[in-house]
Amino acid sequence: MATQNQDQKFFEVIKPHSNYEFIGRTKYWIGLSIVLTILSAVMIFLNAYVIKSRGHFLNWGVDFRGGSEILVEFAHDVDVQKIREALAESGFHDADVVKYGDPAKWNYLVRVGAVSVLSEKQTKAIRESMAKVGDASLRRLDWTEGGDKLYLRYDKPLEPSVIQNSLKALGVSANQVQGFGRADDNTYEVTLVGLDTEIRRHLETKLGAGAVAAIPKVDSVGAKAGNQLKVDGAKSLIYAILLIMVYIAFRFDLRYGPGTVVALLHDAVITIGAFAITYKEFSLTTVAAVLTIIGFSMNDTVVVFDRIRENAARYRDRRFDRVVNQSINETLSRTILTSATVFFVTLAMNIWGVGVIRDFAFAMNVGVIVGTYSSIFIASPILIWLNEKFTANQRKQQRQSRRPQREDDDPEGL
Amino acid sequence: MERGWWWKAALYGLVTVLAVLYLVPTVVPEEKQPRFIKNFFQKKIQLGLDLQGGLHLVYNVNVGKAVSDKVDRLSSDVEDRLRKDRGVTDVNVVRADKPEESHYDIILTFKNPADQAKVDDALLKEYRKSLDLISRDPAKGEVRLRLDPDQIDEVRDYALRQGIETIRNRVDKLGVAEPTIIKKGTDIIVELPGLKPADFERIKNIIGRTAQLEFKIVDDGPTEYMKKVAGAVPKRDAKAALGPTDIDVGTEAWNEEDNNKQHEDVYLRSKSREALQKFFAGLTGELAIPPDHEIGYEEMGGRGENGEQTPDKYWRTYYLHKRAALTGEYLTNADQTWDQSTGRPEVAYEFDHQGAAISERLTGDNIGRKMAVILDDRIKTAPVIKSRIGSRGRITLGSYGDPFALQEEAKEIVAVLRSGALPAPLTKSFETQVGPTMGKDSIEKAKLAMGIGAAAVIIFMLLYYRVSGLIAILAMLLNMLYMMAILAGFEASLTLPGIAGLVLTVGMAVDANIIIYERIREELRLGKSVRTAVDAGFQRAFWTVFDAHVTNFVAGVVLYSYGSGPIRGFAVTLLVGIITNLFTSYWVSHWMFDAVVGRRGAAKPTLSI
Repeated sequence: MATQNQDQKFFEVIKPHSNYEFIGRTKYWIGLSIVLTILSAVMIFLNAYVIKSRGHFLNWGVDFRGGSEILVEFAHDVDVQKIREALAESGFHDADVVKYGDPAKWNYLVRVGAVSVLSEKQTKAIRESMAKVGDASLRRLDWTEGGDKLYLRYDKPLEPSVIQNSLKALGVSANQVQGFGRADDNTYEVTLVGLDTEIRRHLETKLGAGAVAAIPKVDSVGAKAGNQLKVDGAKSLIYAILLIMVYIAFRFDLRYGPGTVVALLHDAVITIGAFAITYKEFSLTTVAAVLTIIGFSMNDTVVVFDRIRENAARYRDRRFDRVVNQSINETLSRTILTSATVFFVTLAMNIWGVGVIRDFAFAMNVGVIVGTYSSIFIASPILIWLNEKFTANQRKQQRQSRRPQREDDDPEGL
Repeated sequence: MERGWWWKAALYGLVTVLAVLYLVPTVVPEEKQPRFIKNFFQKKIQLGLDLQGGLHLVYNVNVGKAVSDKVDRLSSDVEDRLRKDRGVTDVNVVRADKPEESHYDIILTFKNPADQAKVDDALLKEYRKSLDLISRDPAKGEVRLRLDPDQIDEVRDYALRQGIETIRNRVDKLGVAEPTIIKKGTDIIVELPGLKPADFERIKNIIGRTAQLEFKIVDDGPTEYMKKVAGAVPKRDAKAALGPTDIDVGTEAWNEEDNNKQHEDVYLRSKSREALQKFFAGLTGELAIPPDHEIGYEEMGGRGENGEQTPDKYWRTYYLHKRAALTGEYLTNADQTWDQSTGRPEVAYEFDHQGAAISERLTGDNIGRKMAVILDDRIKTAPVIKSRIGSRGRITLGSYGDPFALQEEAKEIVAVLRSGALPAPLTKSFETQVGPTMGKDSIEKAKLAMGIGAAAVIIFMLLYYRVSGLIAILAMLLNMLYMMAILAGFEASLTLPGIAGLVLTVGMAVDANIIIYERIREELRLGKSVRTAVDAGFQRAFWTVFDAHVTNFVAGVVLYSYGSGPIRGFAVTLLVGIITNLFTSYWVSHWMFDAVVGRRGAAKPTLSI
């Protein structure tokens, strides 16, 4: 612009008054998004039903799937196959063993579906072998899958140590056996040994004493709790989206709401899709990341919409889609700068971070790209489309309302 | 500078000084802190479990089982009543539960249909608090009773509170530095930071057990086992103070009220329970504890003769009959009341029908002996049985003067009795163990990732916006400072996801600055003077920045209410960061711009932005 101060210089990535065409090519972009969304959905189903090595919709983390994840640090190099065999021989047939972290260390992540040392099969064995202990016979056995406790009810009192020894003979290690409830109930509460302790014991007997240097981390989640978390996670996403929609409707107007929501859903689905394709672990942290992505994507959309609203008020004579295109251009350098910084910060976290931070960063990397894209190519076209419907409606209403007005002048009106 | 600017300078300066003060306890080691810091600012940021190492456990209180057990007991009590008091010979008692509808039913089917009339108003009145009559079928001889809805709530509430209390007591005994115990729905979340991995198994075992309340009779009888044991205790100078692991022999004597028969109980005492346990474990031959007996331990000497607290606590032993004929489940009620003749505080308790029968037999056979009340392997009190006790009993307390101390003690016993009356099993639903090395490793890596991320942002801002970029960086650093100070004020714990939240806040701070700066550039391009452009830029960008913060805040709030443990840490840092960020990246940086741009009219011709 001619009036610009000649000494004023900026470092710019996007030159001012750029006029890239975003809106004109809407159908290609929407097409791309639909393809990506469908791909995400298809991939989720492929994971569950076609790809045998995967077997689940997503690679649920231990917090959703239920089960235990035990990080085992070995004192010396151990073959993965050996670990697997040792675990299988000890009754953990579903054990999944992967190398973890620092390649210089012999750390392996062991995942088992169990939470408790007791399996369904073993409880059957207990029911059979311990049906009679001394002259007392077993009346009831209470054990919920994954429980760390077992309740045994006999018809005559027994010495807790006797029960403990009988269990031990069946290969069930108990920390403690104590009376439970009324004395004449003859019910005994068995507190089972922790799974990590048991796995360590098995590994050391199979691979030699001292083979396991340490167990730096254990995560275990009951299957029921895991399912609850899935439900809660889905709910939280829905709540977040609804709340944001309410806020947008309140701050802008109703026309702006649906576009943002579709954009958010789009981002959530594609980010989850990225997890389906890479089959990276999908955990609580990933849900946190998806919620954060929703926040950030919303942020992007709000910045663009703010400008659209401002420009729409200023340039009433222009076509709305041109105003939108101009607004996107005006905010383009901000959009690119912000997205780029957030992307690089999270990329650093992805490359140099550990564990949770890394998973989080991966989700953010995908989400930042998709979120930026969706505010321009999804949210804005929907806004234009709704605006057309809305103004068309308004015109119709105006026409209609003009007619009755004339009739109103008519005293004949009831 | 305008006057308003100086006011703001004073305000922001004050806030900054406060923030620094709040952070001192977190950053400076305790011995180097000045006195006033120790007096006024002790709160600090804790390292979360994933960074410090420790144990995170979530237990679910099985309230359903507690309710179902309660109905079980009621049904056998009613059955007992009918058989013994009403002479019903043949009744079939069936339980029918529909937990999802909160229906816990007892169905009584009488072989002789006319007998159903024996479930009369008098009987129902006795159970009016707990059971409601649902239906009565005289033809079939069937009566259906249902657990009262209020009772269900009460039992649930009780079970939960008891679960928390039990865990708290156990954790307190473990001596963990900063345990957290939180209730969430029917879950109890326990966080024990800084534990050694070697202790994990032991501690999980202690915490997860169901609390048991038992009544056992103290054997001061003819075998005089304890006298023999006392002879085996190493001799020590009776006048010397009791060392930490020394064992001492004591005797206690009392008379029976009715016949003046004398009782004498020999016991061992020591400051360390472990020392006593070790001593007994080492006994062999005829000194070994007989299989039908066991040793109980009570922590004594918490109070002096007048009931005042004394510092030298010790453990004393009781020689107990092993079999607990009576357990807490027979109790229906316990209350702190007053002795009608002396006006002293005492404990009144009630047994149900079956419990009363057992108690009558047990106490009748052991008048003059002591009965130990044991919760969680620990004797809480061991009163002398003065007479046969049926359904209602009273425990009178020590003879010392202070009624307040007595009342406290009575209340404590009431709590013990009540909690024992309803054991709800705890089921572990989550567990995370983190070893200390894992945490250290994580901190190092997180620091590196954060450092690289922050450095990249700083370099970019300086290159792209130059002097203004410097302002943005200063504002961002201030934001970090305020954030940490607030987290310290909340005594929040910093988790790995929390660090991720911190890094994201950096991203947000940058975003706010970029929005504002791009706006200022636009205004400058329109040919406005630097001063007007800055003001207009800030003004126009405000709502955009504000909306952006609110939407992130909404996501943060949802995250907070949904998440548990580490996710909450993330949500908290995010929420705090959003608030402080709005303050620093908008107001504080505007104020800094005012300083750079200068006075209205005398403003610089160009802006380094």
